Amino acid sequence: MAKSEDGIQILRGLLVFGNVVIGLCGIALTAECIYFVSKPQDFYPLLEATGNNDIYAAAWIGIFVGFALLALSILGIVAVIKANRTLLQVYIILMLITFAFEMASCITAVAHRDALTPNLFLKQMLERYGTTGTGMTADVTNAWNKLMVKNHCCGVQGPSDWQNYASKFRENHSDADFPWPHHCCVTDAKGSPTNLDACKLGMPGYYYRNGCYDVISEPMNKHAWGVAWFGFAILCWTFCVLLGTMFYWSRIEY
Amino acid sequence: MVAAGRSHGDTQPGCPHSRLRHSSSLTMVPLLLLLLATAHGFQTVSYTPELAKKFLEGQTTTTTFVLEQPRCAFKFQENDINIRIWLVVAAPEAVSNFNNSLEPGSPERAFQNFLNGTNAYMTLGTTTDHYPCPKNPQDITVLRVGSDTSCAHDKDVPTCNGPLPGPGPYRVKFLAFNGSEPVKETQWSELITLKKATPFGDIPASDGKHSAGMIALTTILSILFAILLAGLVAMMISGGLDSCGSSSFTKPDMVTVQRYNTHHVYDQPAARL
Repeated sequence: MAKSEDGIQILRGLLVFGNVVIGLCGIALTAECIYFVSKPQDFYPLLEATGNNDIYAAAWIGIFVGFALLALSILGIVAVIKANRTLLQVYIILMLITFAFEMASCITAVAHRDALTPNLFLKQMLERYGTTGTGMTADVTNAWNKLMVKNHCCGVQGPSDWQNYASKFRENHSDADFPWPHHCCVTDAKGSPTNLDACKLGMPGYYYRNGCYDVISEPMNKHAWGVAWFGFAILCWTFCVLLGTMFYWSRIEY
Repeated sequence: MVAAGRSHGDTQPGCPHSRLRHSSSLTMVPLLLLLLATAHGFQTVSYTPELAKKFLEGQTTTTTFVLEQPRCAFKFQENDINIRIWLVVAAPEAVSNFNNSLEPGSPERAFQNFLNGTNAYMTLGTTTDHYPCPKNPQDITVLRVGSDTSCAHDKDVPTCNGPLPGPGPYRVKFLAFNGSEPVKETQWSELITLKKATPFGDIPASDGKHSAGMIALTTILSILFAILLAGLVAMMISGGLDSCGSSSFTKPDMVTVQRYNTHHVYDQPAARL
């Protein structure tokens, strides 16, 4: 009897510790997701245009899951210390619901990150960049222009995107005058190209040689890792705590 | 000269002229041309035009290409002020019977008629002082063929350096004129093929593959969730079954034991007497 009493005491202590960790992780998850959602991304119009901004939905779910984890961890600590079966049952059920939501958030983040291939952006850029429409097409053009000028890059894989593929841009601008958009040219302090002829020739130093895909994918990768894999780690820990709680529940009487 | 002498001696009675023509036609005509050429000073130099050697992103685009300038290709004297060097751009089939005497600006050599009546045009005419020799190694000496869009449809500018009409291939050479006579030419270049644009509908939007990470994450989380659900169901069932409680330890509350005094113990002594 004494031995099992000790064992249960240890279990109780572990469960309290586990819930404390869950609470802290919940706060961290909320903070991280708020950071991702609030950071202004230059290329958000591009994601919107591809219809792939669900990666932000995953972050929004993460914010609320974080709060829920914090609240439930406090409930869990109270329930374990009081050894109240009803409270423990409520705790377990609510934790399972939170687990399901967080699972959805992780899978969404990773799946949508996988969908953001270079070809997706390339196709959208060739279809929409340079058109003189309003609304979404103008947004895409402006977003690409800002992206290229700010990050010193050109196209998705490089300026040769506009040579290797037909595009809406090519329909409105002749190849001889615009082998690639003039936003790919190195500009001086006033914002005009330093040497337009050298830029059109493709002389190194007068145009931006690198593609913009790395600039776009790097924050998306960090975002996906932050939301999905941190969420996964929390869920693994939560799984252990919940199993322990179920075992604890089965060992106490009313 | 020896060959000419032999053919002259090969006359036969009956039809002297035709016999002479048949046996000597193969050797006489090129010789005559050579005589003509050397008499007028027409030379073919050994220089071959080539695409720009230094790395340039726009070395070939869909309608333009960049050539090295023909520096030190022609060895002209200082006083050749009437010399103009022209670039000839031709379709490959025009090379074999190319007529050097057609002047630049004529309808057979007009840019606007290229591939639409004629198979060669001449452009980028310039005097010799634009190609000084020796070349300063610091300078980037290139010619962009196809860069002028303003005169592409202007019939008044037949020597327009307009954008090329298609991906080619093309062959080029440089031809120097003294006034209206061709005097020197370079070799024909190799075939120059321009870029061809693929329609963007051909790009696959997504390859539909899921990364290993996503599959692992989904699988592991699904298994964990399933285990937890099973545990919850087991909890519900066992909770419903043992309402009497089968605990192996007691709650840490104070257990009070009550002592009962039964009243009938005190009533018995009266009955015994």
